[in-house]
Formats: sequence, C-alpha cells, structure tokens
Amino acid sequence: MMHQKILSGTPTASTDSDVHLRLDGLTKRYGDSVAVAALDLAVPKGELVALLGPSGCGKTTTLRMVAGLITPSDGRIIVGGSDITTTPTYKRDMGLVFQSYALFPHMTVAKNVAFGLEMRSVPKHEIEKRVKEALAMVRLEALSERKPRELSGGQQQRVALARALVIRPSILLLDEPLSNLDAKLRDEMRTEIRDIQQSLGITAVFVTHDQVEALSMCDKVVVMKGGKLEQIGSPIDVYEAPATPFVASFVGRTNRLEGSANGDGTVIIGTAVLRVPGRPGGKVEILVRPHRIKLVDANASPEGSAERFNRLAGTLTRVTFVGDLLQYHVDVAGTEVIVEAASDHGRGFWKAGAPVALSWRVEDTMVFGRGA
Amino acid sequence: MSAVATAHPAPAMPRLALGRTGTAVALLLPIALINAIGFVLPVLNLLRMSFNEALAGGGVREAFILSNWTGLFGDSFYLELIVNSVSVSLGITFLTLVVSYPIALYLHRSSGRWRTFLTVLVISPLLTSAVVRTYGWIALLADQGPIVSAIAALGITPPRLMFNTTGVVIGLTEILMPYMILSLLAGFGRLDPRVEEAAMTLGAPPAKTFWRVILPLTLPGIALGCLLCFVLAVSSFITPKLLGGGRVFLLATEIYDQAIVTLNWPLAATLSILVLVIFGAALAVYARVLRVIE
Repeated sequence: MMHQKILSGTPTASTDSDVHLRLDGLTKRYGDSVAVAALDLAVPKGELVALLGPSGCGKTTTLRMVAGLITPSDGRIIVGGSDITTTPTYKRDMGLVFQSYALFPHMTVAKNVAFGLEMRSVPKHEIEKRVKEALAMVRLEALSERKPRELSGGQQQRVALARALVIRPSILLLDEPLSNLDAKLRDEMRTEIRDIQQSLGITAVFVTHDQVEALSMCDKVVVMKGGKLEQIGSPIDVYEAPATPFVASFVGRTNRLEGSANGDGTVIIGTAVLRVPGRPGGKVEILVRPHRIKLVDANASPEGSAERFNRLAGTLTRVTFVGDLLQYHVDVAGTEVIVEAASDHGRGFWKAGAPVALSWRVEDTMVFGRGA
Repeated sequence: MSAVATAHPAPAMPRLALGRTGTAVALLLPIALINAIGFVLPVLNLLRMSFNEALAGGGVREAFILSNWTGLFGDSFYLELIVNSVSVSLGITFLTLVVSYPIALYLHRSSGRWRTFLTVLVISPLLTSAVVRTYGWIALLADQGPIVSAIAALGITPPRLMFNTTGVVIGLTEILMPYMILSLLAGFGRLDPRVEEAAMTLGAPPAKTFWRVILPLTLPGIALGCLLCFVLAVSSFITPKLLGGGRVFLLATEIYDQAIVTLNWPLAATLSILVLVIFGAALAVYARVLRVIE
C-alpha cells in the first residue's frame, strides 16, 4: 500500500527493556475461522494502548487472551520479560474492567473492591485502608455500603475500575468500558480513566470500537480488521497518515473517489486532473476528509496555484444542518462528496442546486492503490 | 360457532363493563373456584375428620374428641415416624441437591442444540411414572441384582440396598432429580459468566470462585429446589412403599396404611394435617432464607 506521511509522528521506537507487554504472533482460531491472526504488539511501560476496530475484528478476543480467559491457538504473551501464555487467569495479576462491569451482585461496593485483596491474603486493616483509597480515587466513598443494583451505570463503572485497580495489577485491561454509558458520562469517564491511568503510570490496554475514545485517550492506537493488524501508530499518525483505506475510513470520516494515476504525481478522475503526494501509478482511490475540503464558486478563479490546490467541479445537492457543522452533499460526476464547514448560526452560504467547485490542498489528498 | 363470533364483534365491551379490578377477578375466578372445591374444602373436611372417633372395622362416628391428636403425641411410634420422615426427607433433599447441582450448572453453561438435547434428557424421566421407575430400581438394587453382584464380585460383603432406608433414599433421590435440576436452572438467572471471570481476574482460583461467587449467586435456585424436593419427598409414598418393602415407616406410607388398610380415617386425617403443618413450616423456612439471601 502506498501512502504519504503528512504529519510524521515521533516513531515510538522503544527498546526491549521498556516493553511491558509483548504479544508475539498471537493467534486464535475457531475451527476454520481465524479470530486473531498472528498479532505482534509491544506495549511500553505506562502507556495506554487502544485496540480499535469494528465488531468481529478480534480486539476483544485479543484482550481476553491477554487476561487468560481464552487460550491462544498459537503465539506467546510476555509480560515484563516472562512468558505467561499458559499461566491461569487468577495468577496473571491483571485488572480487567468488563463492558457489563460484572460486579458481584451479592456484595456491597466495599466488598466488591476488597475481593481481590482478600484473594491475596492482604491483612484486614490494610484491606480497609486500600479499599477506602480506591473508592476515594473514583469518588465513591459515600456509597461503599450500597449494593451494585442500587448504583447508576456510571457509578457501577467506577466501582469496576476501583476493583480492578485496588489490587495494583501489572496491567489494566479495559473491554469497551464506556459503551454502556450515555454520551455526557462517557466524556467524563474518558478523562477520568486517562487521568487515573497516567497518575498511576500503569500499562493499560483499551478495547473500543469508538475512534473518538481511541484518539482522545490513548498513547497508541492499534487498528484491527478481520483479526489482522491494519496499523499501529500514535493517534495523529493513524488519523493523518492512515496506512490503508480501511484505517482512513474507520478512523474519522472520509470521501472516496476512484481514478487512474499517471505515475507522475497526477491522477485522472473523469476529465479532471488532480495532484497527489508521491508518484503512484495504475488504478487508485483518492480519499479526502470532509473538513479539509472548501466549497468555492464554480466560476471563481482558482484560489491558489494548481500546484498546491486540487479542484473538482460539482453540483450541490443537499445541505444538512448538524448543529455545530453544516454538511454539504456535492455530486461530482455521480459520486457524492461530503464537505463539512463550521455553521454560521445555521445559515449556509450555499444553496442546494448551485454549481460549485471543491478545493483542497494537495497534501490533504490521500491516495491508495486499488490492486492490480 | 364462527357465526356466533361474527354476530358479536365488540371485543372492547367486556373490559369496559368490568374495569381493571373486575377483569382481574374474572380471570382469577375459575382457578379460585377449582382450588376452593378441590383443595380448601377437602382440607377443612380432613381437619373435621381428625376430631371424629374411629370405630372398629372402619366405621367413623361423628364426634368432637381430641384423642386422635393426643394419641399421636403420646405414642413414641408416631413421634419416631415424624422425626424419621423429616430427617429422611432432608437427607434425600440434600443428596438430590449434591448430585443435581453439577448437572444444572453444566446445563446452564451449555448452549444451542446441545443444551436443548440435555434439557430433554433431564426432563424425560418425568414422562414415565414413579411406579415404573421404582420397579426399575428394584431390579437394579435387588439382592441378586447387578449392583449387589458387582460389589460381591469385588470380594466385599455387599450391603442390603433394598427393603430398607438406603433403597428408599436411592430411589427417591433419582426420582426427584429432574425437579431439583429444573428449580436450580430457574434460580441460576443471576449467574453471569462475566462475574465468574471477574473473580478469576481478581485472583480467585476455581474453588474460591465457586464458594465466594457461584454458590452465593445460585442460593435462590438452591432454596427453591430444596423446598420442592423436601415437600415431594415427605409426601411420596409409592417409592417408599415399594423400595421400603413395608420395613421403612414414613408419614406418607402410614397415612396410606391407616386410610386404605386399617380404615382408620380419623387417624389418617390427623396425620395428613400434620404433614400439612410440616409443609407450612418448610415454606416459612424458605421465605426466611430468601429474605436473608436478598
């Protein structure tokens, strides 16, 4: 796959001693189908890594293998230099926060949090102290004698987090922890989890299908599809320099146009000639983010030189008001292109039916080969 | 029939006429009537009968005497009968629980067609009568039967497995297993596999996960199953009669003997009321246990 790095993030070339969790060719097969295919991953100490992908991409299976809840078909899991692939779950020392929270319904909040410490035979007075600290960390001291069913979703979520962290696990695993919360609470918990993770300096793996969570919370994003790794990189890398068309469309929205490249840095789409970074050849797809495109008057003279700006003519078919944004739907020779612009009190400058031109910078053009 | 139905199309009318409470009463009326005629009246009749006087040869004289009751509590045979019945039933209930629990847990965790198949397998014994199954056990447990022969072949003096309490316990335990398994399954709703996994990630080995998480969460099912099996064990008489060979004396078999063989109806009625009181006590214990669990 060809792609051009626009914003090159600092490469996370971590030395071996920094690596806390290493997955080495980790594979899970169910009969003929492969859930996770030879996944390699190195997570440095103290980093929060997101496993991002659509459902069925193998991200949860990977997390459950790390936790020891699923036995890998192949490959190794190494934590702090020692191979734990065959270590039973209860000896792995990992804190797991479940999507459904999985609190013990018959125990109080305090008992839930104390459970892991009791299993470790921590002295009673220390259990009390640490449970208090953990509940203070998630601001739930007042509810310690409640039963889980008497708590709201967000509170249950916090108990689950406190319960996983109180044992001071070597690695914190989070399985879609925010997906059962409403939007406002999700934003709050995002910040809260990130703050706690950073203040404890704990290595964490976060499974999510929500690109916003992955981009906003994590040091590194691992994009997966069909059990295979698509890209590993910093949030900026993954968004600005996607390695594959799948990453480009899954992480953030994108417009897609098909054309054929001349091998000299130009691509023909219909009758238009576009400039692209690099010198691809053959059939290509062009991807451009909706907010990178500007709508300009079809008759106006080009804003900048053709060297720096691409220009495509089209017809505005629809304007959608989505609050902070206006979405323009533009028909470009039968292909719909979406352009996003800040909304000025809901009034769009452009009216549906107008002939318009799309204009965007050459370096905002992502180009991928379409196979042979 | 259909002509009548089309002739009276207004479906909303009865509800309008009765209202919410009226509808509820109308729906409950048939079962209330059946219960009143088939259960409450006979029980009241039994209570009355327990104060009548039994005459020699099976006659009953209308009276109001307490001798049936005082005789019962004054006779060590009947006291022993009560203690024996309750303790054997409790033992059977416990044994049934121990052998049914793993099966129920496995069934709860299985899924799809396999689960359907296993469930049918568990329920299928209910399709044959207890009499047939008891005769099956007689064949198995008989003195020349396969189990006794197998034990003898090992060079051990075989114990008697039939015509004693052992036989009754073995037979009733097997017969009550489907009821126990179904009750356990009904009560396993709170058992979420994720919760077990959470316990393991927190450092609980399998045994601790069982005692601290799985068992407490399945207590409602255990309570329900035990109540049901205890009641069924106390009231069963065919299996104790056949497998006990007339040598195991329990309340139910004694009631049968008094009512059918000796024709002492007042005494049979007294014993029956006593069994009802025991059931009431079991229900009270069950309600208490449920409150503690919650």
